[in-house]
Amino acid sequence: MTDMQKLYLLVPLAPLAGALLAGLFGKAIGRAGSHIVTILGVAVALAASVVIFQDVQAGNTFNGTVYTWMKSGNLTFEVGFLIDPLTVMMMLVVTFVSLMVHIYTIGYMHDDPGYQRFFSYISLFTFSMLMLVMSNNFLQLFFGWEAVGLVSYLLIGFWYERPTAIYANLKAFLVNRVGDFGFLLGIGLIAAYTGSLNYAEVFAKGSELAAQDMAVTGWPLITAICICLFIGAMGKSAQVPLHVWLPDSMEGPTPISALIHAATMVTAGIFMVARMSPLFELSDVALSFVLVIGATTALFMGFLGIVQNDIKRVVAYSTLSQLGYMTVALGVSAYSAAVFHLMTHAFFKALLFLGAGSVIIGMHHDQDMRNMGGLWKYMPITWITSLLGSLALIGFPFFAGFYSKDSIIEAVHASHIPGAGYALFCVLAGVFVTAFYSFRMYFLVFHGKERFGNNHGHHDHEGDHDDEEVSADHHHGLAPGQKPHESPWVVTLPLVLLAVPSVVIGFFTIEPMLFGNWFKGVIHVGSNHVGLSELAAQFHGPVAMALHGLQTAPFWLAMGGVVLAWFFYMVRPDIPAAIQRTFRPVHALLENKYFFDRFNEIVFAGGSRLIGKGLWKAGDQGIIDGVAVNGTARLVGWVAQISRLFQTGHLYQYAFAMIIGVFILLTFWFNLV
Amino acid sequence: MNFVVPDFYPAAAEILVAVMALVIMLASTFARRVASDLAYGLTQLTLVFAALVSVLVSPNLLAAVAAVISELPLFGVRLAEVLMSLAEGYAANEVVATFSGMFIGDMLGGLLKVFSLLAVAIALLYGRGYLADRKIDRPEYYLLSLLMSLGMMVMISANHMLSLYMGLEMMSLSLYGMVAFDRESPRATEAAMKYFVLGALASGLLLYGMSMIYGATGSLELSGIAQSIYHQAANKTVLVFGLVFIVAGVAFKLGVVPFHMWVPDVYQGAPTAVTLMISSAPKLAAFAMAMRLLVYGLFELADQWQTMLMFLSVLSIVLGNLAAIAQSNIKRMLAYSGISHMGFVLLGLLAGVVDGDRNFALNAYSSAMFYAVSYVIMSLASFGMVILLSRAGFEAETIDDFKGLNKRNSWFAALMMIVMFSMAGIPFFIGFFAKLSVLQAVVAAGYVWLAVVAVLMSVIGAFYYLRVVKVMYFEEPVDSTPIRAQGEVRFLLSANGLAIAVLGLLPQGLMSLCAYALLASL
Amino acid sequence: MDFKTLVFYILSAIMVFAALRVITSRNPVHAALFLVLSFVTAGGIWLLLAAEFLAIVLVMVYVGAVMVLFLFVVMMLDINLDRLREGFWSYLPVGALIGILLVVEMALVLGGRYFGLEAMPEPPAVQAGYSNTRELGRLLYTDYVYPFELASLLLLVAMVVAVSLTLRKRKGLRQVNPSDQVAVKRGDRVELVSMPAEKE
Repeated sequence: MTDMQKLYLLVPLAPLAGALLAGLFGKAIGRAGSHIVTILGVAVALAASVVIFQDVQAGNTFNGTVYTWMKSGNLTFEVGFLIDPLTVMMMLVVTFVSLMVHIYTIGYMHDDPGYQRFFSYISLFTFSMLMLVMSNNFLQLFFGWEAVGLVSYLLIGFWYERPTAIYANLKAFLVNRVGDFGFLLGIGLIAAYTGSLNYAEVFAKGSELAAQDMAVTGWPLITAICICLFIGAMGKSAQVPLHVWLPDSMEGPTPISALIHAATMVTAGIFMVARMSPLFELSDVALSFVLVIGATTALFMGFLGIVQNDIKRVVAYSTLSQLGYMTVALGVSAYSAAVFHLMTHAFFKALLFLGAGSVIIGMHHDQDMRNMGGLWKYMPITWITSLLGSLALIGFPFFAGFYSKDSIIEAVHASHIPGAGYALFCVLAGVFVTAFYSFRMYFLVFHGKERFGNNHGHHDHEGDHDDEEVSADHHHGLAPGQKPHESPWVVTLPLVLLAVPSVVIGFFTIEPMLFGNWFKGVIHVGSNHVGLSELAAQFHGPVAMALHGLQTAPFWLAMGGVVLAWFFYMVRPDIPAAIQRTFRPVHALLENKYFFDRFNEIVFAGGSRLIGKGLWKAGDQGIIDGVAVNGTARLVGWVAQISRLFQTGHLYQYAFAMIIGVFILLTFWFNLV
Repeated sequence: MNFVVPDFYPAAAEILVAVMALVIMLASTFARRVASDLAYGLTQLTLVFAALVSVLVSPNLLAAVAAVISELPLFGVRLAEVLMSLAEGYAANEVVATFSGMFIGDMLGGLLKVFSLLAVAIALLYGRGYLADRKIDRPEYYLLSLLMSLGMMVMISANHMLSLYMGLEMMSLSLYGMVAFDRESPRATEAAMKYFVLGALASGLLLYGMSMIYGATGSLELSGIAQSIYHQAANKTVLVFGLVFIVAGVAFKLGVVPFHMWVPDVYQGAPTAVTLMISSAPKLAAFAMAMRLLVYGLFELADQWQTMLMFLSVLSIVLGNLAAIAQSNIKRMLAYSGISHMGFVLLGLLAGVVDGDRNFALNAYSSAMFYAVSYVIMSLASFGMVILLSRAGFEAETIDDFKGLNKRNSWFAALMMIVMFSMAGIPFFIGFFAKLSVLQAVVAAGYVWLAVVAVLMSVIGAFYYLRVVKVMYFEEPVDSTPIRAQGEVRFLLSANGLAIAVLGLLPQGLMSLCAYALLASL
Repeated sequence: MDFKTLVFYILSAIMVFAALRVITSRNPVHAALFLVLSFVTAGGIWLLLAAEFLAIVLVMVYVGAVMVLFLFVVMMLDINLDRLREGFWSYLPVGALIGILLVVEMALVLGGRYFGLEAMPEPPAVQAGYSNTRELGRLLYTDYVYPFELASLLLLVAMVVAVSLTLRKRKGLRQVNPSDQVAVKRGDRVELVSMPAEKE
């Protein structure tokens, strides 16, 4: 094992060690001890990632097995690392954001009794996520996939005394099972048709797969594989219609929302599809499917952000929408743009979430934006950093989000794949919507009239959807006359540290990542797809791109959104209420999240209840109860009876059984001779 | 008189244990006041040292262990060097026979000895508090467990029917004594009585079979028997006749149907600490006995004994799993589950030779060995949990006693869940890989139907394991007494439970150790 | 048929009869005595095989020691054999059937076909001055020293088990503990009380 390989191993193991120490010996090492060991673990991982990053820049990639788990037939299950530019970029993002969240948590969870447990979980999450991104084979990918999911459920249900948290937990679990089922099916198909689980080996057989049809059904194999894999990504990256779990996951503590449900875990699906680009490139049908799903998510989830009143939910819906953008980029073969947006988004979305968390601390755990306003006076650092984050989110030129989002829009524009027209409309409209809800939140929280301190009338507010009940139930809010105050330095430091990359990272990295050779050999774009090639021809440096961006439609759409938000919420706050009254059906539609939950409840839950009832009547009582269950029960009972008959406790019967055994053996094998 | 003084070196561990047994007996006689503590401490020391010595005297095992240790961080390399230097100057062969060919020192034996000695040590540690609570932690108990270990070591290293039988009797006799150790308990006495009488019957069967084999081959030494059969010098009918009785004797020790009748009664009746003992290390010794007798001695008859084992294993897996469902006593349930697990071990043993082709042997036997070792690890943890929950005047032996364990102590509930999942064969715990490797061996040997039966039954079997989990997590505790145990028991039980999970994630090391042991010894 | 063969058959017949009576006789004392008889006849058969040491040891150990102890136990404890025989008759048919079948199978194997003189050649005659006892001793302490030593430990196990299961202090039983008596100090028994010499 070379020194570099040891370093690779160190990256995931350091957070794991921290998690184990904090988890198992949390009581012994105390609260301070737990956050020190976990932060140390993640910091070590970050430092090691930086070293590896420099090593990769020098051209040293690695693809190999660290440990052979077991051999089963001709399939080998291995733990292996694939260290290439894509991996190392993900490693940096994960460890950096994770470190920020660790530090932030010290302040946010300060009074929580589950302090050690929480640190243990987030370090465990970091470990799982690193295993996921560093994997060189499908099995380990799946392991990381399930492990991050597990930690995510644990954290959504972190406050397990709340029934809503348990419900959200269950929902996330069930919805993700649907995705995982597809994912596992895809892996199974790959294993069945290529006989390997190693990325490199599978990609080498890609063209072979493309030529085949699936047995029995006759579907083109590669399309089936890609769509199955993408269904997995839909679950984890919350794409329509498997998105329903993500907004509810905001039941978890805010640092988690930042780390898992915004910056890293939910991007696992995007990462996976980018990693599988050699396979996806072989199927236009799958790419179109990806594109349409992504575009739908990008626009329609954005709409929902407009009507939310819970500050975290606004950010959650914006996450959904941005994930949609990334998926769109995948669909038009602009994988590097997707990954690029993934990276910039990780920084500014983590920033926005942590900013929202800081506001929540300041408001004493009141999350309702209608109770805020004018906070800029009291929380200056949070205010400035949130503004920067919002600007990055709406894609204001020179900010990180601008470069990534603009590249995606341009890539969609250049693409000819079926569905690209619809996608272009969605992403353009999405820009306007994004700007509108982002600044609606910004204005409601930081500017305007100070509405806090009178939340004893909280229940009288008109909106009665469940988000609010959630916040009313167990959040305290500020007492009358009490003023919010800026959060402690452990909270604001990560905000500042995250604000820096949110502003500048796009400017510095767009050239190597999108148009340079950074992803060469890692991300594969087929010759029949446009990808980013047309864009590359027009690219003349980041400054030129930003200046050009000032004259394009997305910029003006975004500006329009900001101005509209300013007008509605700063100048004439009566207008939104009027609109809401006039377009009551639309508002109801949005308020109820397009009735997705209702639909699921009625169709899936109700339907399965109905089917269950039918099956129960016909099948269960008749066949299963009658034959299978009762039959089995009768069989088991019978065997138990028989064995009880022998197991009497009488010694001579036991001895007799042995003699009979000898007799049977003797009689049967005697004849064989 | 051409007698040469035998080479004692390969049997150093046995000699150590024998001498220490005598020392402990004398010491505890003269130090009455601290006799129990003294005997316990010395026994533990002896067991650990004997395990170390077993490693040192087996060059292959030593090399394998040193290789593992040198991978450890910090002082790993240094430690491995120290270990190697300890054994320097004793250039023993890979396989060495001594005591006129009655004792064989090989890696298989070395590895099994290490595992069984450690299993006994862990079982003693778990059981100490239990015995103390019931005021039966007399020094004789530790003396007997040490002599039982000696018996197992003799069995494991036996190359001669006589030494094998001696080891078997020494182990069994000590166990009978330990089962009856709680004199005030009529249940324990009854169980001991049954165990003793049936054990005597099984010994009789085994001896009868041995005498037949001796009659046919003129040899009691296992390698001599194998030679004689190989040269077709022995009459096949007599051999198979003897084989039946030998298989019966082995089957009794493993506790497989229909020689299993003692298992549920003894497991339930014996003090839990003793049940823990019976269900762990002796299973390894029984596995070694099967290997020595059937594979080393009677390998030429594999066609015959494989089909016999098939019959026994199917019966065990079916009856063990079905009967376990009907149990409400967890010790009894685990007894039936043990019967089905032993059926799985037999599955591995019966897949070694296919139509005279011996290429499957290594894989099949190593899978059986892996299964046996995994079972011992799981069994230690499961009965360890039963001991943990019981206290003076209270035996946590019904499944209902596990109700709401999660509310009382979520850490141990999680451990018990790991154990139950592993026993049920749910991925990714060690039990899953044990089942997987055995089933692979069976399928490779062409007995697909056997694998299907085994899988089907273990799916049915998963029910009763999951019931325990359900009871722990979804029911309200009836008993809210806090769980008390000494620190070392808590620690070791946790390590034991986690080992099941960790080995489930990284099973390759143990698997290849088993395979390598067989490769170096066959 | 020479004399030796005749003696063999007579002894064997007695032994089989005695063994059957051990399990069929209703009186446990009779059963034990029949067991003694079967041991003695077995010793006789061993004598025929020129294993005189073993024959004598069998009679001395089993008949002289073990069975006497056994008889003591049987006579001192009042064992109700009828209760032990409960269910004997209901199990007899199937038990007898299996038993007979087993005997038939064993007879098929153990008959002269495989164990006759052709299959098992007679061992070479011993030369004059050969001592069975001496040979046994030599083997026990050389080639078989390993199982011999193990046997000693096995006996130790039996002793330890027997002692630890039976030696106990019963409550309410008056007994003397010599070591306590020896260890007694003056202070344990005598208390010196200082008190004024005269009454007040």
